[in-house]
Amino acid sequence: MAILRVSELTKDFSGLRVLTGVDFEVGPQEKLAIIGPNGAGKTTLFNIVSGKFPPTSGQVRFKDEVINSLPPHLRARRGMARSFQITNLFQKLSVLENVLSGVRSRLGLRHHMLRQPLRDRELVAACDAILEKVGLSDLRETPVQELAYGQQRALELGVTLALEPELILLDEPTAGMSRQETEDATAMIKRVTGHIACVIIEHDMNVVFSLADRIAVLHYGVILACGAPEDIRRDQRVKDAYLGEEES
Amino acid sequence: MTSQRPRSLAWIVAVAVAALAAAPYLLPSYQLRLVTEGIIFSLYAVSYNLLLGHAGLLSFGHAMFFGVGAFATAIFLNQIPGISVLAAMGLATGASLLVGLLVGSLLLRVKGTPFALLTLAFNSLFFAIGVKWHTLTGGDDGLNVIPPKLHLGLGVLDPRNGPDIYYLTLVVLGAALLFCWRFTATAMGHSVLLLRENEERMRFLGYNTSITRLILFVFTGALAGLAGSFYTLQNAFVSLDAVSIDMTTKVLLMTFLGGTGSFLGPVLGAFFYTYVQDYLSNLTDNWPLIMGALFIVMVLFAPGGLSGLGQGVVNRLKRAKTAARP
Repeated sequence: MAILRVSELTKDFSGLRVLTGVDFEVGPQEKLAIIGPNGAGKTTLFNIVSGKFPPTSGQVRFKDEVINSLPPHLRARRGMARSFQITNLFQKLSVLENVLSGVRSRLGLRHHMLRQPLRDRELVAACDAILEKVGLSDLRETPVQELAYGQQRALELGVTLALEPELILLDEPTAGMSRQETEDATAMIKRVTGHIACVIIEHDMNVVFSLADRIAVLHYGVILACGAPEDIRRDQRVKDAYLGEEES
Repeated sequence: MTSQRPRSLAWIVAVAVAALAAAPYLLPSYQLRLVTEGIIFSLYAVSYNLLLGHAGLLSFGHAMFFGVGAFATAIFLNQIPGISVLAAMGLATGASLLVGLLVGSLLLRVKGTPFALLTLAFNSLFFAIGVKWHTLTGGDDGLNVIPPKLHLGLGVLDPRNGPDIYYLTLVVLGAALLFCWRFTATAMGHSVLLLRENEERMRFLGYNTSITRLILFVFTGALAGLAGSFYTLQNAFVSLDAVSIDMTTKVLLMTFLGGTGSFLGPVLGAFFYTYVQDYLSNLTDNWPLIMGALFIVMVLFAPGGLSGLGQGVVNRLKRAKTAARP
């Protein structure tokens, strides 16, 4: 049974049809990569699935519930978390406080006016465990704005993990990284997401082929092909539309 | 180093508490009045800084909460026979809490300049109500209040007596200030910082930011109302000044003068403003001119306010100390 099922999704932006009927599903523990040339509608699709704006028509089902118009905070509470392409953190707060914001939210400790989260040992221990995973333990008191780019990307992942989601939407997790950084980041994503279902948008084909169980190719608003990485690599339509362009 | 620090802090706190407790015996009554007023404005400014410094929301409407608290106290004391002072103040704080709920729920989706302008508009609306609803507020004449004596288990407090109102203010508003201080470390206090830093990410992490904003608005509104309530009690009088744009400007000046970056900044600013205003207004009627110039100089040359200046001096001393070590 699929954890995420998107069917006949369309999106119009003032007359311009960006998505013209997108169908795909993600199984539990499955990693699906969505690839496609610039302007194919990947980011739009991502924003609809994560709740930034609603689709024009069609359906987004998460754990068998239609969530078309569910606001982001309620999606997060149901177990869907997203990371951002452009690092989107709490810049002036410390690494620990950033992760804490996710852990607090998961435990429902959002607006309590008496409890002090930093004095709660279990809470801090949960944060430290996440920082350990993403390799930021030594920087827990450092403000985000003083972190190197790669470290910010790692924290971005850590904050997302803090929600203990069942589905993670990763928006270009290695954008702007050097080759070495990309390799490290890919290994880390593989390690920390474990069996959590993921939808990944990514341009770097090495990353896609090493992370994804299945690949969907988005081309001018429709899914052109969807299947195992090897099949996609061999698919003539995909080569023509996309992969060929890159190699030439 | 780490073990000495809490000890010296404990000493400072102990001395401060002793000095505050002994103030009525040490200070002439006029000076005591100024200290009382300083405490009242401290709470007013601290509540404002929770919006400005912590949540990053620039409001030009804080006087509506202060004014509602101030007027409601006078109205309840005058209109409800036999009501106790504490009950009147509690109800008045509740009234400003409701105003926070009402105005806050209308301002949930606006930020930045529109937010600032709308709070200004709401403040003007409340001022206009104050002017027009003569039967309730006394209009331009204001309202006189004769606060009844307060019977506590151990004795009787007379709000018209300087030391009595001082102690009442010190205990109640001191507790409120301590609560605010602690508040910054609570879950809600942290969420307020998230609101300032990145509201969008907050939503994607499962926070209903409308709720966060509303709680903050209600909380800061109630605190400002409580401060306003004490303002009425201390003066035994309330005028439209309490709900005016001037009162909003005042809290803005105090907070900026003291510094928005730290918890104690606004407290420093409130006392500084109270004393400087008192001093200047004895010298000249044009004191707002000097205050304005002072404000401009501070914003231009010391954007961190008095607390920022203090912190700078402390840092420099520390550096000199470490440099002096071999």
